Amino acid sequence: MANNSNSAVVHVEDLRKRYGDIEALRGITFEIKAGEVFGLLGPNGAGKTTTIEILEGLRRADGGKVTVCGMDPGREQTALKQRIGAQLQATVLPDKIRVREALALFASFYHEPASIDLLMERFGLTEKREAFFENLSGGQKQRLALALSMVNNPELVLLDEPTVGLDAQVRRDIYDLIERFREEHRTTLLTTHYIEEAERLCDRVAIIDHGLVIALGTPRELVLHSGKGTRIEVSLAKPVSPDRLKQLDSVLDCVETDGRYVLHAQPAAPAIASLVRLLEAEENILLDLHIAQPTLEDVFVEVTGRRMQDE
Amino acid sequence: MAKYLNDPMNKWPDGSIKMIPSIRIALMSIKLVMRTKAALFFTFFFPLIFLFVYAGIFAHGNPQAVVYMFGPVVTLNIMGSGFFGLGLQSVMQRERGSLRRYRLAPLGPGSMVFSSLLANYLLELPTIAMLVTCAMLFFHMPLKINPLALLVLVTVGTFAFAGFGLTIASIANTMQEAQVYNNVVWFALLFLSGVTVPLPVLPDWIQGFAAFLPATYLVSTFQAIMVNGQSLFDHKAEMMVLVISGTFGFLFAWKLFRWEKEEKISNRAKLVSIAFIVPFLAMGVWMNKYGNLRATWKETYSLMSQGPFSHGQHESAVNGILLNDFENSDESELVLKTWQVSTDANAAGRALGELEVISPGSDGTEHALRFQGHDESTAGFDRGYVAARYPFPLPAGVPNLRGVQFDVQGDTRLFQVTLTPQDSSLPAPTLTLIPNSAWQTVRLPAAWLATLPASPPGNKLVLEFRAGGPPGDFTLDIDEIRLY
Repeated sequence: MANNSNSAVVHVEDLRKRYGDIEALRGITFEIKAGEVFGLLGPNGAGKTTTIEILEGLRRADGGKVTVCGMDPGREQTALKQRIGAQLQATVLPDKIRVREALALFASFYHEPASIDLLMERFGLTEKREAFFENLSGGQKQRLALALSMVNNPELVLLDEPTVGLDAQVRRDIYDLIERFREEHRTTLLTTHYIEEAERLCDRVAIIDHGLVIALGTPRELVLHSGKGTRIEVSLAKPVSPDRLKQLDSVLDCVETDGRYVLHAQPAAPAIASLVRLLEAEENILLDLHIAQPTLEDVFVEVTGRRMQDE
Repeated sequence: MAKYLNDPMNKWPDGSIKMIPSIRIALMSIKLVMRTKAALFFTFFFPLIFLFVYAGIFAHGNPQAVVYMFGPVVTLNIMGSGFFGLGLQSVMQRERGSLRRYRLAPLGPGSMVFSSLLANYLLELPTIAMLVTCAMLFFHMPLKINPLALLVLVTVGTFAFAGFGLTIASIANTMQEAQVYNNVVWFALLFLSGVTVPLPVLPDWIQGFAAFLPATYLVSTFQAIMVNGQSLFDHKAEMMVLVISGTFGFLFAWKLFRWEKEEKISNRAKLVSIAFIVPFLAMGVWMNKYGNLRATWKETYSLMSQGPFSHGQHESAVNGILLNDFENSDESELVLKTWQVSTDANAAGRALGELEVISPGSDGTEHALRFQGHDESTAGFDRGYVAARYPFPLPAGVPNLRGVQFDVQGDTRLFQVTLTPQDSSLPAPTLTLIPNSAWQTVRLPAAWLATLPASPPGNKLVLEFRAGGPPGDFTLDIDEIRLY
């Protein structure tokens, strides 16, 4: 990859799209730098697929400005498609096409195709090279879809929900494959509604909801800047007033549920130190302690007031 | 294309030749058809069923009728591949979502439409070749059409009906909608354009309507060339209309191509696509007003019912081995002794026949044999008959005989001709004909002739002319009996 790490491979500014009465995108703005794995995280219907399809040149934007690899996807589709690779949420190929044939066929459409044998090896399809598409498992089909997105050795890879509908083990296999994109410094945009996927794979994430970017940054930045803080869950030998716990250092809030106390603190260390001092002073005993960093899910809940999976 | 094949720069690193994407997709589509049993059956074997039904049942295996039926069989096949092989397949691919992956590649709608057309055409050619081969092999159909003209006709026909299929695929939003459109057009073309029912037997107003249908032009051009012996050039107007329609269909399919089932076509676009039928409307109006279609159809149909080799046209009629031409008047008595008249026991007294040598014969010859009589028995060949039989030995030293040929003229009554071999295990080919007052040459194929040992010890054969039809008088003149 000959990407300049300072340049933006994707530039999206005030992107708007409407389907009849529904405003799917209401002015989205973000940039993807060369070599970056960028995630669009959001619930179903947030506008992720519309955004990625506009970038692929499959849909026309109603407003805003988009450049991909320096080109306008709406006007320079054919030239752009030579330089990008894309994977659909669900890839459907003819039942009787063999894995090797599908890769060779699609590679033949490009000026600079990748080696089919290397692709099959890399995506674990060598043993299935002569298998018909209809006989592949869900995971194998998705690996083939990813391999198809790489047949032109693209500068930019656009992956739309690459693990949707797959079981946990297969998802992790796919994560390993996508992590290779980052090792190769291949610019990648993926959409997902899996928190784990965004946190594990993405250098930066844009959380998108109802057609708007509601948070943008690295997963760590988003969590650190989350007002929620670290979640500290404790069980005590003797009951304590939650109001008392709220007064501890750096504790943001505290609730009691079934005899367990859930505190949110930012940062966590002073809160734990002052909790230990309080328990010593009151001759109370700590029965159980559980500390959890906030997740992107918490960030989403904080910003929208809803859980992502409720959508 | 030549550039792609010859230019070394257009090769991949592994040496394989780069091809334009449409050709790649078309070749892959053909490969996929070969792997799908149902597609394989409907592409290659189903048309043969039609051939055997048309030629074996409708034409009774009579080569002259098979020639007439061949055009409808080919047209039926071309229509089927256009409507169902191409049209419905396009909609099905869109509904299934398999076009979406192609959409991500640097391909345009033109590439997709062209690849469908090409695959359809490339699958059509071997099917037609199989139909021709089977018609010639099993039904002894004489191929009275230049192979190049046949190729042009098939190409133009396939293009025109592919245009039909693609237009329907373009305007149908769902598979169900496409099936409705397909059925409406399909059945109209099937029954009103001479594909299933010969146009001359249909009412006059239907014949007028048939002039608006594209299948009519394909069928009638086939028949005019193969039965009437006309040239393709005589039908350039019909060819032009088919080409224009195919082009319209291709352009509509290109313009209205949709990659995904969610994309719906507007009613306005549907209305615009009705322009597809404009060439047929114009042609229909023009043909009904100025053309001589009905006379041509009638002539072709009449020739079919007379025989494929009208006198003076068929060169091979003067070849072969002459068995009996009734020319030597000294042998007249011998001839009459050789021939036998027989009647069925059930018809005794009610069926009478006699033979006489008459003058002139066919094609300017001096003599011919007249078989005439009266039959009051129940109509038909099986219950009561009168027949003239000619037993003859198979001549020695003549390889590759394929059948017997003779000239006949008659009084438009029904006759059945049978060639019976001495070996009863062999089939006795039969031909039904209604000869009129013009001499015509008729062939009765018998493939086993080539395998029979020549005499001596010899194989005797019997050629029988049996009168049929309604009770009454009959006359049949016979001349120039040959083995070919």
